[in-house]
Amino acid sequence: MQDEQPFKISVSQNALDSLAQKLAIATLPAPAPVTYTDSALDSEDWTYGVPRPTLERLLIHWRTQFLPRWHEHQAVLNALPQFTRSIEVDGHGVFTAHYVHKQSTHNPKGAIPLLFLHGWPGHFNEVSKLLPFLTTPPANASYPSFHVVAPSLPGFGFSSAPTKTGFAVAQYAEFSHKLMLSLGYTEYVVQGGDWGSFIAHRLAYLYGPKYVKAWHSNFPAGRQPTLTRNPLLYLQHAVTPYSAKEKKGLQMMQWFWSEGQGYFAIQSTMPQTLSYALADSPVGLLAWIYEKLVKWTDGYEWGDDEVLTWISVYLFSASGPETTVRIYYEIAHQGNMDEFARLWSPIPLGLSFFPHELVGGPRTWARTMGNVVFESEHNKGGHFAAYEQPLALADDLRAMFGKGGKAFGVVKGKDGY
Amino acid sequence: MAGHLDTLAKKLALATLPCPAPTTYTDSEDAQDWTYGVPRTTLERLVHYWRTSLLPNWREHEQTLNALPQFTRSIEVDGHGVFTAHYVHKKSEDRRRNAIPLLFLHGWPGHFNEASKLLPLLTAPPASSDYPAFDVVVPSLPGFGFSSAPTKTGFALPQYAEFAHKLMLSLGYDEYVVQGGDWGRHIGLGLAYTYPKHVRAWHTNYPRSAGPPQLLRNPLLWLQHLVTPYSAAERKGLDRMQFFTNEGTGYSAIQATMPQTLSYALTDSPVGLLAWIYEKLVFWSDAYDWGDDEVLQWVSIYLFSASGPATSARIYYEIKHSGRSKELINIWSPVPLGLSYFPKELTPVPKTWARTVGNVVFEADHDKGGHFAAHEVPHALADDLRKMFGKGGKAYGVVKGKDGY
Repeated sequence: MQDEQPFKISVSQNALDSLAQKLAIATLPAPAPVTYTDSALDSEDWTYGVPRPTLERLLIHWRTQFLPRWHEHQAVLNALPQFTRSIEVDGHGVFTAHYVHKQSTHNPKGAIPLLFLHGWPGHFNEVSKLLPFLTTPPANASYPSFHVVAPSLPGFGFSSAPTKTGFAVAQYAEFSHKLMLSLGYTEYVVQGGDWGSFIAHRLAYLYGPKYVKAWHSNFPAGRQPTLTRNPLLYLQHAVTPYSAKEKKGLQMMQWFWSEGQGYFAIQSTMPQTLSYALADSPVGLLAWIYEKLVKWTDGYEWGDDEVLTWISVYLFSASGPETTVRIYYEIAHQGNMDEFARLWSPIPLGLSFFPHELVGGPRTWARTMGNVVFESEHNKGGHFAAYEQPLALADDLRAMFGKGGKAFGVVKGKDGY
Repeated sequence: MAGHLDTLAKKLALATLPCPAPTTYTDSEDAQDWTYGVPRTTLERLVHYWRTSLLPNWREHEQTLNALPQFTRSIEVDGHGVFTAHYVHKKSEDRRRNAIPLLFLHGWPGHFNEASKLLPLLTAPPASSDYPAFDVVVPSLPGFGFSSAPTKTGFALPQYAEFAHKLMLSLGYDEYVVQGGDWGRHIGLGLAYTYPKHVRAWHTNYPRSAGPPQLLRNPLLWLQHLVTPYSAAERKGLDRMQFFTNEGTGYSAIQATMPQTLSYALTDSPVGLLAWIYEKLVFWSDAYDWGDDEVLQWVSIYLFSASGPATSARIYYEIKHSGRSKELINIWSPVPLGLSYFPKELTPVPKTWARTVGNVVFEADHDKGGHFAAHEVPHALADDLRKMFGKGGKAYGVVKGKDGY
C-alpha cells in the first residue's frame, strides 16, 4: 500500500474552459406549468421540480461571478487537510482513497478516532462545519475531542471509482475500514447519514465490536419491528401512539415515497442512461443536485456560492459526476434490502432525529437498527444535518461520547480527554 | 432553426461522455452490455456520427421528416387556452373512395412521424386488393413535436382527448376511428369513453390492463381466467412485464414526480437527450435494426420541438396527479375495440386481462414486434386494421357512409 500523499484540489484550466464554454451556450427549458398555489413568485413554485427563474439566476451567477473567481472557491474546499492513499478492496482492485484527516488540536493521544461517512448527493466537505467542534472543542468545556477522518466514497469526490459490478455496501464498508486501519486507527467510532448510515450499519456488523466500537446515525431508517425479531419493540410499537414528531416524520416519508423518489428509481435501475446528461450538462447536474439541497433541508438558506461550490465537488470529481449515482444500482441489486437492514450489532448506537429528515418514522422502527444507547430529538434540521445543524449534531456526539455519556470510553485509551 | 443547428454543433463539439459502466460478468462485449443503461461505446459512435455526418447533412433529413403533409391550426381546450395543433393529414390517394377517417395517436417517446411507414399502407392500399382506405390524421400531442405545450397545471387525459377530438371535428370528421399505442392507447380509451357518438371504434397495439379480471367487474372473464392456463406466450409476456416493472420504470418515476428538475439536463444536453430516448428505442423494440440516421432523426424531433425536448415528459406528471385520468385508463367502454398483441410490448398481458377494457371485437397475435409497432412492423399493424375495418371485419362500416371502399 502506498504511503499517504497530501492532496489539494486543483482543477485544470481545460476543465474550467470547458465549463465556461458550456455555460455560455446553456439552453434552459420552458418554465413549468403554472399551478394554483398562492405563491406569487414562479421561483417559489417547486411543484414540478426546480423552478426556472431560480435555476436561471444561479446559472448567471455561475457564469459571471463564481467561475471567474473559481480559485477562491477552490481554496475554500482546500481549507480542510486532504490526502490520498491506495486502498485495496477484495475482488475490486486498488482504489485511490481521497480523504480529509484532521487530528485533535490539543489531544493527539487521547482523542477518539471518528470516521465520518457522507452519502448522495453529499461529499467529503459536508463535514467542514462539524469538524472544528469535534477536533477543537472549547478549552473550558468538558467535551471530548476527536480525530476525524472523512473519506470520499469510491466514485465520489477525488477517490477513484469502481470498475466492476457489485461494489455495494460491504465493499464501501471494507474500503472505509481499511482506510481507518491504514491510518493507525485499529479502534474507532463511525458517524453517518444517508448511504453513510447504511455503510456505518454494515461496519458495525462486520467489524464491531473488535474494531468498530460504537456508531451514530442521523438517518434513522429502521424497519418495522416484527414479533419474532424485535418482540419488545413490536409490543411497544403496538401500544404506544405516535408522537407529533413521529406523525410529521411519517408524513415526510409518505411525501418522499410518493413524490420524491424518482431520482432513486432511475439511479437504481439505469444509471448509465442518466449519466450522459449528468456528465455533459453542468446546468443539468446543478438542477439534479440543487433540488435535493433545497427539498431535503429544513429552510436552510443556501448562498449561491455555497451551492455552486457543492456542485463543483461533483462536477470536477476524479471519475466524473455520474459515477456517484451507481451506488443506488449496486445497493438495489445486492440482495434483499430488508434482510440487510435487519443485520444487528451489539455495539452502542446513537440516533439523532431531525424533523425534516426523509425517513423520520416511528422511533420504535429506528430502534431496530441496533443497540440504541442514545437518542436525541431536534426541532430544526433536515437530511444534511452535519452541514445544516453542525452544533446540534456535535452536541449529540458530545453527549454520547463525553463523560457521563452512554458510549464514553468505548475506544481503549482514547476517551477524548 | 439556423441558431438551433449552430448551437447543436457547438454542444456536440464540446460533448463530455461519462466513463463506461462497471463491467459485468456477461460474455458480451461492452457495446452489447446494457445492464446499467446505454453502453458508452454505442453512444460515442452515435455522437460521432451525429457530429460528422447527420448534422452537416441536416437539410436532407429535415426533408425526410417533411415528406408527410403537415399543417397547423388553433385548437382550444377548456380551461387551458388555445393551442397550436401540429398534425399530419393525409387523405386516401384514391379520392373516389369513402375513406375511413382514422386518428393515429403517439405516446412517449413517440411522435407524429411514427406513423410514416404505416400511413401509405392505410391511405394507398393496392388497387387489386380488397383492403379499405383511410384518411389519416396524426397530431403532435400538446408538448410534443410542433404543437404548443400546456402552460397550466392539470392538462391530463381528458384534455388530451378533448384536443384530439376537436382536431378531428375541425377537419370535418364528425365520426372517426382511433389507433394508438403508449399514451395514445390511454387517450384512445378516453376518447372512446367520452365521445362514443363520434368515436365509432378504436384499436390499440398496447393492450394494457391494470390486472386480472375481477369477479364483480368482469365475471365471465374472471371465470375464464380462473380455468384457462396461460399460454407459453402469455407466460413470457408476464416475465417481460416483471422485468419492465423492476428495472425499466425509472424514467417514468422521475418524469411523473419532478419533470422540471429532469428537464434542465435533457434540454441542455443533446447527448443526454439522445441516451435518454435511445435506450427506449432499443429496449422497447423487438430487435429492430435501428439505423443511425433513423435514431438521430427520431431524437431530432424531440430536440427541435416547438416547446423544447422536455415538455413532453410532463404528461407523466399530469396523469399521475389526476385521479380522473387514472380512472379513465382502466375504464370500460362499449365502443368496439381491436387488440394487437406484440411479443415485445412493455407489459404484455394475458388475453383475459386485456379483454377487461372494452368491447373487444378483434384480436390478433404476432410473433414479432414491440412497443413501436407502427414503426417496427407496419405491415403487420396495417393488416390488423384491414382485417378489423375491411369487408367482413367486425368493425366494417362503423363510420356512416365511410366504409373505406
